[in-house]
Amino acid sequence: MEDFNRDKFPPIVNGKPIIDLDSQKFLKVWQGPQHPGVTGNMALEVTLSGDEVVDLKTHVGYLHRGFEKLMERRKYLQCFTIVCRICVPEPDTNEYVFAAAVEDLAGIKVPEKALWLRTLTLEMSRLASFLMWIGGQAGSLGMGTIAQWTVAQRDYILDLFEELTGGRVYHMYIVPGGVRGDVPEGFFEHVEDVMKGVEKVLADVEIALLNNAIFKKRAKGLGIISQDMVDEYGIVGPNARAAGFVRDIRKDTPYAAYDQLDFTVITGTKSDALERTYVRFQEMLQCVSLIRQIARRIPKKGALYTQIPNPLHWKIPAGETYIRAEASRGEYGYYMVSDGSEYPRRVQVRGPSYTHAIAVLEELAVGTNLADLAGLMVSLHTCPPEIER
Amino acid sequence: MKLKDWISPFYVWKRAFEKPFTVPKPLDERPGSSRYRGFHKNDLEKCIGCGTCSSICQNHAIDMVPVEGIETTKGDSGLRPRIDYGRCCWCALCVDICPTTSLSMSNEYLWIDTDAEVFRFIPGAENKPWDNVQEGYTREESYHIVDPERVTMEMLPPDERVKSFLEMVKGYSREQAQKEADRCIQCGICTATCPAHMDIPGYIKAVRENNIKDGLKLMYETNPMPAMCGRVCTHQCEDVCALGHSGDPISIRWLKRYLADQVELDDYAKAMLVAIDSNGKHVAIIGAGPGGLSAAYYLRLLGYDITIYEAKDYAGGMTRYGIPEYRLPYDQLDKDISYILSLGINIQYNTRVGEDITFEQVYTSFDAVLISVGLLTPYKMEIPGEELPGNISGLEVLDMVTRGEKVYFGNRVAVIGGGNVAMDAARTARTFGADVTLLYRRRIEDMPADEEEIIDAEHEKVEFITQAIPLRIEQTEDNKLRFIFGLAEMVDQGDEKRPRPVLIEGKEHSIDVDMVISAIGQGADFSFLPMHYEALFSRRNQLKIDEFCRTNDPKIFAAGDIANKTKDAISAIADGHRAAKTIDHMLQKEGI
Amino acid sequence: MKELLQRLSDRFSLKEITYQRDNLIFITVEKSNVIPFITHLKQHENFSHLVMIGAVDYIENGTFQLTYLLHNYSLHADIGVRVHVQRENPVMESIHTIWAQARTYQREIREMFGIDFPGSPDVDKPFLLEGWQNIPPMRKDFDTLKYSQETYFPRSGRKHYDPQNYMKQKLYPDKEPE
Repeated sequence: MEDFNRDKFPPIVNGKPIIDLDSQKFLKVWQGPQHPGVTGNMALEVTLSGDEVVDLKTHVGYLHRGFEKLMERRKYLQCFTIVCRICVPEPDTNEYVFAAAVEDLAGIKVPEKALWLRTLTLEMSRLASFLMWIGGQAGSLGMGTIAQWTVAQRDYILDLFEELTGGRVYHMYIVPGGVRGDVPEGFFEHVEDVMKGVEKVLADVEIALLNNAIFKKRAKGLGIISQDMVDEYGIVGPNARAAGFVRDIRKDTPYAAYDQLDFTVITGTKSDALERTYVRFQEMLQCVSLIRQIARRIPKKGALYTQIPNPLHWKIPAGETYIRAEASRGEYGYYMVSDGSEYPRRVQVRGPSYTHAIAVLEELAVGTNLADLAGLMVSLHTCPPEIER
Repeated sequence: MKLKDWISPFYVWKRAFEKPFTVPKPLDERPGSSRYRGFHKNDLEKCIGCGTCSSICQNHAIDMVPVEGIETTKGDSGLRPRIDYGRCCWCALCVDICPTTSLSMSNEYLWIDTDAEVFRFIPGAENKPWDNVQEGYTREESYHIVDPERVTMEMLPPDERVKSFLEMVKGYSREQAQKEADRCIQCGICTATCPAHMDIPGYIKAVRENNIKDGLKLMYETNPMPAMCGRVCTHQCEDVCALGHSGDPISIRWLKRYLADQVELDDYAKAMLVAIDSNGKHVAIIGAGPGGLSAAYYLRLLGYDITIYEAKDYAGGMTRYGIPEYRLPYDQLDKDISYILSLGINIQYNTRVGEDITFEQVYTSFDAVLISVGLLTPYKMEIPGEELPGNISGLEVLDMVTRGEKVYFGNRVAVIGGGNVAMDAARTARTFGADVTLLYRRRIEDMPADEEEIIDAEHEKVEFITQAIPLRIEQTEDNKLRFIFGLAEMVDQGDEKRPRPVLIEGKEHSIDVDMVISAIGQGADFSFLPMHYEALFSRRNQLKIDEFCRTNDPKIFAAGDIANKTKDAISAIADGHRAAKTIDHMLQKEGI
Repeated sequence: MKELLQRLSDRFSLKEITYQRDNLIFITVEKSNVIPFITHLKQHENFSHLVMIGAVDYIENGTFQLTYLLHNYSLHADIGVRVHVQRENPVMESIHTIWAQARTYQREIREMFGIDFPGSPDVDKPFLLEGWQNIPPMRKDFDTLKYSQETYFPRSGRKHYDPQNYMKQKLYPDKEPE
């Protein structure tokens, strides 16, 4: 921000900006809570000077469903049906992290084939989530057509989920102990068809979006996350990787079958909206590659499930644990506390948007143009449902 | 910026010539995938209304409700699930856990109506377009939420068993019992079938949570002989167990045994905490079998003074004299009996009513008399040669072995009959080293004996000859017995009745044996009742008894094998309990 | 991790240590020790990533447990720093100066559990629950079922029969002889 002009901004007293709306210098605008670029609802309270953002507050609370509280009065297996609802575009991460936390506390080992199937759904949902995001990213910067293409591809992935799990959006496939079923006949052929379609669309997206002068011009320099900010704000996932951090949970502490898959961590150098788009774009191609690897190498036979005790009165040994997984937006984790009863004492969800959409966005927004604000928000890949569980 | 960056966006225009992605209307032509979790289906014939779907549903979307045309029977509550689609989240846990696999989902997902009330429906009972749709979600064969396999019970191997009278079933360890109890889904379908209506889910829960004393107390509310029943009960409960529909039923009997085994006799009183206030009334009980003992226990708890007249020198009746020790060790039976008697029950051993004391005396000196004498007179085969020495009844054999008398079985024994007495006699003879052939007039599947007894006998190498009709017994030159029988064919009697064996004339078979044990059933002996009590009988040797164990005489009640059809220990116990309640009711009414 | 623990226990008094996995340890420390302890972990032991601040209500002990979950990117290991805060007037020192994002967690915990973090920015402003009048909802003594029964109305026409009781009624009802 070379042309930073202090005059436009409210005076700062005791570390807080004093915004005098009566001065007519500032205008307050609410953006949201409905926003086409993000899944779920979140409002931005924007204070403008001209068309420049001088202050921003993120407001959530539009879709609080109280899942964490609800789980405290449900038995462990009953919880598995609601965790997927915590994050609509990427339910499988929740399913996996919940199951893995229960398994960690109860000391259950999951059969090999189930690990592969879990990895498959995790990658498919990452890809689906990215496809949804890139639509929002392009749309928020004025290129709605791209969203039509990619969201259509996401739908084909949902078709695959439907075929594998019986549900399009909420799959409820990964249960504590394993997975609920094997792949149906001919499934991987369908996967390959969809992957081909995705690749084709991504090639088009590359030409039409990543090589688009307007997009480049608007995204470049938008919302720069400095290296210092990353740990200070708990920034994770592609947002951190775009800043040059080689951090990927799938590589660092491999879970499911990731240790058997071949991939490298994709990083950038300077985390702005453009670089983040590049990183995520590469990760989409990586997803396609991983899904193909899984299709090729998944064990043909083997158990899908370790027998758990009767879920109607399953008591998990007392203890606490934290399990994390790499979602499309970064580190996704569950902190689970058991007091030895049939009900979880506490399940706390850590979604990456918790920091990205609030502390980080509020910081980065200052100084941006109102027109770019939506593009900035989407470039952090925020997902309000995981903020308010 | 390169020139390319300005030109390339126009590449989008190529899409104008491509086929659109849009799926055209009408929407409902796109079927759900073959695993789709769509609307519920329920096979009402298969469903037993156990309500497990309702218990697992995290949304409280499922109610169990009566459905017209579906009767409540043993093993079927007559209820069926009604699903509230205002709450359902289509997770299919109900389908996964359904023990009968009656519940499934179709791949239909479109149902449009202006009336919200219709979305609360009973799958299967209300006809829906998807009822016969084959596609949709079902539980994958290998995936079980509840372990379908019971915890194996360790037993003496058959070749060890035949060497001694050591108890063959070793019993569960705590870990095994808790694991088995964990499988229980607590539907309670079993309770109605148990003749004593024991709170089975309740005491299984006690096992699971290791509340041994509470469990014992709970068992004694309906059954004062759990150590015995935990070993030899006919466990009709297990036959109707919901889990038995797609796996092994819960080992209800072994869990009962486990509970009783965990508490020492000396600690029973502490566990049970009973207080007895005497009410000054006296009841006589004839026969100290399970029926009599059970009645004595519950009457005593209600404050009655009890006197039991027992013809033999020990209490227990058929459970002592009719069941071999390897199935029911005497110390375990004694544990049950000792606790009952410890409540202050007067028992007169070796006192046969009708001989040592007249029925009149008993009748006049007590406020009520309960007859529970059991069935002790063996039926005859009614064939020539039956009177030959070496032909003996099964009951007699078991009785002699129990009393420690020497029995000469010889090398080869024929046992006639297919009930538990026949199996016990055959297996006892095996234990004494004889080769045993068991002959039965119908097929194995028709045998009234418990399935396990038949299997155990087979394992212990008892030879079975089925559809064998006894013809006569002859003496051979070397002083053995020749048992001569013909074979029968099974003649269909229509749907309701079981097939009847009809002798195939002309062909005779025989085996030479040292001993013939006949165990084809037994009847009651009411000779102790004086003539003028004839009004008590409906037919010869059949007491007229109502559902409350009452006879025609307001002071006389009856319980045990003489009073019920199933003629097993648990029914006798149930009878005893019922008789106790009736006697209490009648005597209390009189008092007012 | 072992050496690390050794180093830590030399400097700080660590109360209860739970080894959940090779790379996940929970350590309980005194309330007064928390800030120095996690500052030390961040500055000297490279636990640079604040994963989350967790809160658990132990109503039976009269305490809340706060768990500061810290991650070390080079060891790929986590330490959960547990601290117990009295349930009565619960107050905890804010760590927003150590990690800027902590303010969001603290604001939510303030709202959901009623634990105050004086000095934390906007900690008193409603986060999710604008206009909430009741006790903080994540506390164990807030009964969601009761709340929903009082606030909403049940759908009419629902009735459930318990199979065991229903069978008793139908097959062996309690009867008394006349």
